[in-house]
Amino acid sequence: MSNILEFSFMWDTFIHLLQFIPVTLFLAIISMILASIIGLASAIVQLRNIPILKQIATVYLLIGRAVPTMVMLYIVYFGLPILLLVFTDKTGIDTGYQHIPPMVFAIAGLTVHTGAYLTEIFRAAILSIDKGQMEAALSVGMTWFQGFYRIIFRQAALVAIPLLANQFLGLIKSTSIVFTITVIELLGGAKIASVETYRYLETYLVVAIMYWSISIIFEKLFLLAEQKLGIFKKEANI
Amino acid sequence: MIEFRNIHKAFGENKVLKGINCTIPTGSVTVIVGPSGSGKTTLLRSVNFLERADSGEIILDDIHLDVEKATKADIHKIRQRTAMVFQTYNLFKNKTALENIMEGLAIVRKVPKAAAKEKALHFLEKVGLGHKAAAYPHELSGGQQQRIGIARALALNPDVILFDEPTSALDPELVGEVLEVMKKVTQEVNCTLVVVTHEIAFAREVADHVIFMDGGVIVEQGPPQEILNHPKEDRTKQFLSRYISLVEYNI
Repeated sequence: MSNILEFSFMWDTFIHLLQFIPVTLFLAIISMILASIIGLASAIVQLRNIPILKQIATVYLLIGRAVPTMVMLYIVYFGLPILLLVFTDKTGIDTGYQHIPPMVFAIAGLTVHTGAYLTEIFRAAILSIDKGQMEAALSVGMTWFQGFYRIIFRQAALVAIPLLANQFLGLIKSTSIVFTITVIELLGGAKIASVETYRYLETYLVVAIMYWSISIIFEKLFLLAEQKLGIFKKEANI
Repeated sequence: MIEFRNIHKAFGENKVLKGINCTIPTGSVTVIVGPSGSGKTTLLRSVNFLERADSGEIILDDIHLDVEKATKADIHKIRQRTAMVFQTYNLFKNKTALENIMEGLAIVRKVPKAAAKEKALHFLEKVGLGHKAAAYPHELSGGQQQRIGIARALALNPDVILFDEPTSALDPELVGEVLEVMKKVTQEVNCTLVVVTHEIAFAREVADHVIFMDGGVIVEQGPPQEILNHPKEDRTKQFLSRYISLVEYNI
């Protein structure tokens, strides 16, 4: 072995692995969007003290945050088909669970996990908004929903963005474990590629650089969104 | 006309309103005074249900509500006929001065955007802040924010405007400009104004009717010169002793 690192091999690997980036991004972005919806809904349910739904949200939070992502993935991957099987048996409605691609389980697992964290992020962000803002909205005749959407949510979103960015970057990295349930994304592709050549170090270095680049791009995007949404806010000097 | 009938409200064990009965005539300027914790703000906020009283009736012209039975729709209806000016201004922080005023017009009253903007500008001019239309609340002084708060309430053309200690959060130099705007409002606007304030001089000058509250009940009410200059009740005399000299004395 002449060189410690074979750069031309690394370049080839990089080009080869580019095809898996869309899979990683697809997993991360779709899970993030779904988790945001779940997170926002369960945060509102908790803050508004809606009976029954609030208890469900509390149990969800307990489970969602306590179980490691990988365990959650396994539970969804092995548990959901059984659930659907029983459902089919009982009702006779064919859910076609045998044909569900593993990608769906991967997204479901990541969504359940991330949604629990987003619930707390949204709850904290909404709580940070002065309650006078909603009172003012109600006093001019808005409904609660109008006040929430037009006033509270837009201010809370700004508070939440840095935390959402954190969570999203974490999620991008979490996608690397869905390889364990047979979804071939960036790390999965790299594992397969490295087995063919036994050049593990080079391959993983390339993968690291690729995750790093993706993270930097999204970090900048979130920063941009924060600036764009934050035009109404005074910069704090601390 | 606003009428309270036997309004009760408690926060836990703390009884804040103990059976309030009174009528505020249409188009009048009614000032509610009283020491801190007397329930005056709670009474004011019970009108638009920001604070929901435990029992009693609230009547706003043709809307007759038993507070225990009031539905979401009832509350929404009463809120559409009233507006409020807050102690801490509560301007929408994510909206410019102009948007703050437009918001209620465009979203609640469904006024077309161009007309809402024109109307909002008109009211901004009225409170002397036409040049601040594009400013966000954090760029404005407390006095300016409160004047916009008043413009936001006026623009809705409500039947009633509720003022909740509009000058209490301002530093003394800025109180004047807000009181000036409020005086203008009392002269030019026909809607019913209910003002909770500690500005006794303001009450004396513009009020048609003064209500003195203490300990969750109305101690005394009547025309300002009577209540503020010649109070009958000891509690009122004691409260007002800071503002007027009721006793002749020699040193």
